[in-house]
Amino acid sequence: MIRRLPPAVVNQIAAGEVVERPVSVVKELLENALDAGALRIRVEVDGGGAERIAVIDDGDGFLPEDLPLAFASHATSKLQTVADLDHIGSLGFRGEALASIGAISRALVRSRRRGAEAGWEVRCEGGVETAPQPCGAPEGTRLEVRDLFYNVPARRRFLKSAGAERARIQELVAELSLARLDVDVTLVADGRELLRLPAGDSLPARFARCFGVELQHGLLPVSRTFAGLTVAGFVAEPDLARRDGKLELMFVNGRRARESSALYAIRQAFREYLMGGRFPVYVLQVNLPADQVDANVHPRKAEVRFVEARRVAGCLHETVRAALQARGAAADAAAGGVVIDARLPRARSGFPDRSRDLFGPPPAAAPAPPPREAAVAGVRESRGPGEPGEAAVRPNPFQRVSGRFLQVLDLYLLLEGPDGLLVVDQHALHERVVYERLRRRHAGRPVQVQRLLVPAVVEVSPTELAWIEAASAELAEQGLLVEPFGPAAVAVQGVPAVLAKVDGKRLLRDLLATGNEDGGTAVQDRIAERFHAMACRAAVMSGDRLGEAEIEALLQEAATLEHPHNCPHGRPTVLTFGTAELERYFRRRC
Amino acid sequence: MKILCDRNALQEAVTVVSSVVPVKTTKPILQNLLVRADTEGITLFATDLEMAARVQLDAVKVSKKGSVLLPARETAALLRELSDPTVTLESSDQRCRIESGGGSFVLLGESPEEYPEESQNKSGKRIEIPAGRMLRMIQETIFAAAREETRYAINGVLLDCAGGCLRLVATDGRRLAISYENIDSKVEFKVVVPLRALNTMVRALPEDGKEALQLEVGDKQIVFKIGSTQLQSQLLETRFPDYEGVLPKSADTTVEVQKAVLESALRRAAILAPNDMRMVRFEAGDNQLRLTAESTARGRADVAVDAVIKGAGGGINFNPDYILEALRVCKLDDVRLDMSDDSMPAKFTLGESFTYVVMPISGA
Ligand SMILES: Nc1ncnc2c1ncn2[C@@H]1O[C@H](COP(=O)(O)OP(=O)(O)OP(=O)(O)O)[C@@H](O)[C@H]1O
Ligand SMILES: [Mg+2]
Repeated sequence: MIRRLPPAVVNQIAAGEVVERPVSVVKELLENALDAGALRIRVEVDGGGAERIAVIDDGDGFLPEDLPLAFASHATSKLQTVADLDHIGSLGFRGEALASIGAISRALVRSRRRGAEAGWEVRCEGGVETAPQPCGAPEGTRLEVRDLFYNVPARRRFLKSAGAERARIQELVAELSLARLDVDVTLVADGRELLRLPAGDSLPARFARCFGVELQHGLLPVSRTFAGLTVAGFVAEPDLARRDGKLELMFVNGRRARESSALYAIRQAFREYLMGGRFPVYVLQVNLPADQVDANVHPRKAEVRFVEARRVAGCLHETVRAALQARGAAADAAAGGVVIDARLPRARSGFPDRSRDLFGPPPAAAPAPPPREAAVAGVRESRGPGEPGEAAVRPNPFQRVSGRFLQVLDLYLLLEGPDGLLVVDQHALHERVVYERLRRRHAGRPVQVQRLLVPAVVEVSPTELAWIEAASAELAEQGLLVEPFGPAAVAVQGVPAVLAKVDGKRLLRDLLATGNEDGGTAVQDRIAERFHAMACRAAVMSGDRLGEAEIEALLQEAATLEHPHNCPHGRPTVLTFGTAELERYFRRRC
Repeated sequence: MKILCDRNALQEAVTVVSSVVPVKTTKPILQNLLVRADTEGITLFATDLEMAARVQLDAVKVSKKGSVLLPARETAALLRELSDPTVTLESSDQRCRIESGGGSFVLLGESPEEYPEESQNKSGKRIEIPAGRMLRMIQETIFAAAREETRYAINGVLLDCAGGCLRLVATDGRRLAISYENIDSKVEFKVVVPLRALNTMVRALPEDGKEALQLEVGDKQIVFKIGSTQLQSQLLETRFPDYEGVLPKSADTTVEVQKAVLESALRRAAILAPNDMRMVRFEAGDNQLRLTAESTARGRADVAVDAVIKGAGGGINFNPDYILEALRVCKLDDVRLDMSDDSMPAKFTLGESFTYVVMPISGA
């Protein structure tokens, strides 16, 4: 029998689309506050947001006559006609958020319209609203959400730990704050202040406050104008790249949003500068006429679509490419200058150039190189064992090569395999071989710690701090001794003795850059793996050039490996030109 | 420009200024050196934009003033091969003819106007120190500086001048070397000089030189002057750790041992410390210092040497390379080691004014 669902259930289902987890509530409330013209926003969360979320703003406040509709579905003051949907200027437009939130929590709005005598308050529990009551309130709005999902136990069960939910909220607040440097934002979790972002910060300064002070050196400012489109923000030096894509931040007309062709275009521009498995770091604000963007494509407004997606992607690619290229040219741009110029980048010293004005005019872009073809048609690149289902079926190509090889360009080896020509990156393969050796050797050996004379102080973001605190025992077991050092930094007191040559700060940074999602591999394994990879790199770099005999030995050892296709850092070791491809290329076959 | 000068003097000067010429550069013009001739003699100048070197030669006969830019590497190589005691350089446009016994050569330069100009340094703080002393101080510290070139490491040496004493301090976070010298001056400064500049100095300074080396320290740069040679370098803008804080104030055990004995014993023991996990155990007791190392794959070393031991005795682990590197520049016959447990830095006294602090290795 088909039955109409009661409205409360309908709303709960709809709510699930909008509100996936506590962070979604924070996002909606923050957007509402920004839409209301707030310049000062305070976000409070308790128990990872599941217990309580409050967003307090100093914006326009609700019109008293709108309050009865606050928690009603499709009630919005921001949009009236369908035509309006074509040029959305506000972050909200569906009139869906508060209704959804109200359906699955115990919510409260207390608001005083700017200039009004008194405030009003409305409560909503499981979608049932109370009548507005007058009350005392400061100008602006306080929206408080308690007991999220109290009536949707299934959802509640899917929540992660309070710490994990809190970390997501912190990331979100930080991200959104980047679009509005004129707004003062504070985040307090369980009484502890996690973010304090004063208005008027520069973009790099706020970015650094949110995501770690070390990041602010090595941000390349960008600012480009194309017809009907501007791009501004920065891209980070490739050596700041991360192992996750969390700091790939794009904003479209002030809205934090993803768009797949843009994402791809930016990564392509970074590609030649990054090792495999690394993701770039950037904040790019794209502005274009509102009718060129469709923001109404995702239930949580996390994605947008561009009317001219190809063109936008092209502009982004060009912007990023030019910025990355100009960084090499910046040193040259000082041609004919004074000898010792404090503004010259210190290419050789390895120090961040603190005197660079991040928002000064970007250095002149170098002429564009000819576009590089992505890859020769028909060439297969060896993929790592990371891809599910692939590892099992991929044979070790080194097991079936003829013994002869040709070394070219001091770096590549050409080999004949059963199905074609193999091109081997000798360095990458060497790294893989050394890595495997190290792994076997260190298995079961007691970990030794090289203690540091001068602790390396590393400034970290609150999220990173939380991760380090949680993982400190495992880190110590692997030989990395880290202690808290003030509210926003840690001190590295010792490093694994196998990595005696690696800088302690870099070690920790590298580890943090591997992403701190919980789940997946155990922390220990991940740490050990990273350390081995670094030890291996150090070993290979200090090694001499390989002679013929050594190359033979290398190839023999490679034949015994389980994962010979990638170096430990993710770069491929071997490229295969199949017989068929070669024949096709030389027109021996169609 | 036309000059006649002593080949040896010119070759030496070219070698000195060439030491700052970059091997690889995106600006090819930097692979040249500038020769300028005026009534007082000639000046040779080269820079890589971080460092600059200048040498003045006055034993030169200038018959026509002017300047010319010469390819640094080729000029140096050519002068080395020429046999006549004198050479003539004559330039017109951007070519320079070099005449000497070995033949006549034409070097193609670039326009001197294109070359970066020498900056006029505003006068900074000045001190003087015997060149040979400075050389030793650099050698006694530079090896302890970080070699890794990352954005986090300190690739420089601290020059800390205060209270009539110049201290050079270098650290890579695991060990720290200090060498000092009293000077007759009230000047105070605290700057970090890039390793590259100091390495160049090591090559340029005479061993045991009594000549005075002048240091001129500005906000952004430092100038070293000796005789008619001058080397200028940017300073590193970096915070140097508080080095006095890490010097151990007391120790449980004191070991006194002959330097040569310790060095050879440690070198032997270190052979069996694995390459990727450098560790040698130092154990003090019964007027013996015992050094042991073990590699699971290769074997075990056990070396005992006579030593004077005072205090509690005991053992700690060190990276042997850290200690060998320091012993290599140590000129003392007997060295002293003050050590406690494996969580405390150990102190080596390697000279009257040369102290070296190393952090031990401990279990996790
Ligand atoms: N902080 C606030 N200050 C003032 N008015 C607010 C605030 N939050 C919500 N409102 C009002 O409540 C209405 C409903 O908000 P809600 O978030 O549900 O919808 P929306 O923002 O219009 O659209 P969307 O569902 O896309 O977020 C808004 O249109 C606005 O008029
Ligand atoms: Mg909204």
